[in-house]
Amino acid sequence: MSLRQLLMRLPCYLGALGPLRRPWWFLSAVGSSRGQSTRSPTHWNQVVSEAEKIVGYPTSFMSLRCLLSDELSNIAMQVRKLVGTQHPLLTTARGFVHESRHNLQLRGLVVLLISKAAGPSNMDTACQNYDMVSGIYSCQRSLAEITELIHTALLVHRGIVNLSELQSSDGPLKDMQFGNKIAILSGDFLLANACNGLALLQNTKVVELLSSALMDLVQGVYHENSTSTKENGITDDIGISTWKEQTFLSHGALLAKSCQAAMELAKHGAEVQSTAFRYGKHVAMSHKIHSDLQPFLKEKAGDSMTFNLNSAPVVLHQEFLGRDLWMKQIREAQEKGRLNYAKLRETIKAGKGVTSAIDLCRYHGNKALEALESFPPSEARSALENIVFAVTRFS
Amino acid sequence: MSYFNLVKSITSVFRNVYGLSRFHHTTPGVCCYSKIQSGEKYTDPFKLGWRDLKGLYEDIKKELFISTTELKEMSEYYFDGKGKAFRPIIVVLMARACNIHHNNSRDVKASQRSIALIAEMIHTATLVHDDVIDDASSRRGKHTVNKIWGEKKAVLAGDFILSAASIALARIGNTTIISILTQVIEDLVRGEFLQLGSKEDENERFAHYLEKTFKKTASLIANSCKAVSVLGCPDPVVHEIAYQYGRNVGMAFQLIDDVLDFTSCSEQMGKPTSADLKLGLATGPVLFACRQFPEMNAMIMRRFSLPGDVDRARQCILQSDGVQQTTYLAQQYCHEAIREISKLRPSPERDALIQLSEIVLTREK
Repeated sequence: MSLRQLLMRLPCYLGALGPLRRPWWFLSAVGSSRGQSTRSPTHWNQVVSEAEKIVGYPTSFMSLRCLLSDELSNIAMQVRKLVGTQHPLLTTARGFVHESRHNLQLRGLVVLLISKAAGPSNMDTACQNYDMVSGIYSCQRSLAEITELIHTALLVHRGIVNLSELQSSDGPLKDMQFGNKIAILSGDFLLANACNGLALLQNTKVVELLSSALMDLVQGVYHENSTSTKENGITDDIGISTWKEQTFLSHGALLAKSCQAAMELAKHGAEVQSTAFRYGKHVAMSHKIHSDLQPFLKEKAGDSMTFNLNSAPVVLHQEFLGRDLWMKQIREAQEKGRLNYAKLRETIKAGKGVTSAIDLCRYHGNKALEALESFPPSEARSALENIVFAVTRFS
Repeated sequence: MSYFNLVKSITSVFRNVYGLSRFHHTTPGVCCYSKIQSGEKYTDPFKLGWRDLKGLYEDIKKELFISTTELKEMSEYYFDGKGKAFRPIIVVLMARACNIHHNNSRDVKASQRSIALIAEMIHTATLVHDDVIDDASSRRGKHTVNKIWGEKKAVLAGDFILSAASIALARIGNTTIISILTQVIEDLVRGEFLQLGSKEDENERFAHYLEKTFKKTASLIANSCKAVSVLGCPDPVVHEIAYQYGRNVGMAFQLIDDVLDFTSCSEQMGKPTSADLKLGLATGPVLFACRQFPEMNAMIMRRFSLPGDVDRARQCILQSDGVQQTTYLAQQYCHEAIREISKLRPSPERDALIQLSEIVLTREK
């Protein structure tokens, strides 16, 4: 059973969770699929499903041992008790299901593809080759799984609530306390499994790389949390260079370092490792900017659709405008103490933030493609290129 | 069930506690070994251990180096030098005891000292998470991280400390050591899960309690002791001695901690007492008291959730011999620890470890 299947069960345990909300990419991907040639898919679902075929069997990013453990059924049972509460862990659990094809496994998939694209190194003696399935070492498959475990753990820990800030609409305090408890334990459980998987790889450099990726990710999430909690549009005065640093920590470091670690596991040298790092970093950056851009690109965005005031287009918009003018625009978009996102969105769309975010997305996409050039042509390399095409295509 | 049967049931869960029945007729009394094993000539184990731990907290803070000031402040919060540093002390003493045993080496390796740092970091990371889980508001006489900065950030601070520990561990560059300490992380999480559930059956309940105690407390001490022994000496027999010493001392340490939760006042502990009952947890003194006051069974099963449960349970415990029995059990673990460590060649550090296991029993906070 794959992680996806497992997590899909969670909502079944949870019972009826209300109507499912489709995420943005679902609509945009369906809308843009017409007229695409099948040879170079830019339709996201297609890119992912073709890539999954290349890496062999359907990716199962969690060891059976972990799936069959008492703790996991315990978690499922405990999460069930949260149904009907307002705890964000429920939203996270729902997200696993609906975004699983697109976000949950993306990191693992990239790690597998780049492992296959790089192939075995010349340094590697034939003795290890029996361990390969579809051109990927079993240790690289474990690594892909670990990458997903770390990502998911932080996703779960991200959804802890501050008990002192609860509103009456959040429901009883004890529900939230319980939700926090289960969220911490579930996240810790995933991290412990990641540590365990890392130890089994028997490679201290890989342990160090992934541990430092975890450290980066924690810092990145920390920044994100502290900026996103501010209400009513009081955004941090950060420039695009600070934004890039923080986004690398929260979105790029894990993938970059996992790609590098995959090369280390196949005994590739420093140069190949740094190439893989660059691909992972840049593809993650352009993926992030691409998703930041979506609220500004859709023709008919719902009026209620909010966006992150620290997303790439907004930060760039602010950079062009200067802090004072930006604060003025935010004040103008305030209505009865609440921010009118629809109005602010139009203001931002009128500026240069959106187009320069598109440029930035393409810049990172091109850097990712450049990195791939040093790998020999292969279907795995094409799949990695297609991922870049899918996230840098705007129309 | 007689006490003897209970001891037997414990013995069946944990091998190597066979020493228990031997001491069965010993009158519970504290610290009966101190005169025999360690005389006045030995220095305080904490003083001896600190010689190798100078700058411990500064070095930990170096591992936590980051630009975000608030996250740094939160992560460093408990590394203020006011903790007992119980784990690092055991680790460096064990390192020296093993090194001397192996080839009379008078040095502590840098990698062994790193284990002391890592053990303290893993311990602190779990404290931060446990305090959020238990919604605790004070520890070591100050506010908890979650009460000052909120739960969201506290959880990330815990993760951050863990990642720093994990980096330090990887830098030692030894895959065996990584596996040994990874076991700790796994045990800690499993221990926390064990704490979520309670068992109907009395025997099972005690085994469950001891298993939880091992995973949540003893595993870290046992495996860090094992790690320094592996780094200092190639002999697997020594690794097992180090592990068993750590395991037994760790068990005793936690049993006494559970006793102090009832007998000590909050000023001494730096945290509120009867805290375990309030969290719905049935620790050693409760389980022993339950044998004299069967009405406690129902309270245990409902996790002391009804009004008055905590006070009633507390009274039962203080009227019963639960505290003495738990202390007695802790003594058995200490005897076992001493028996194990005594297999090593004599050294001031070895004797300090013997003395330390006695301090564990007599500590008041």
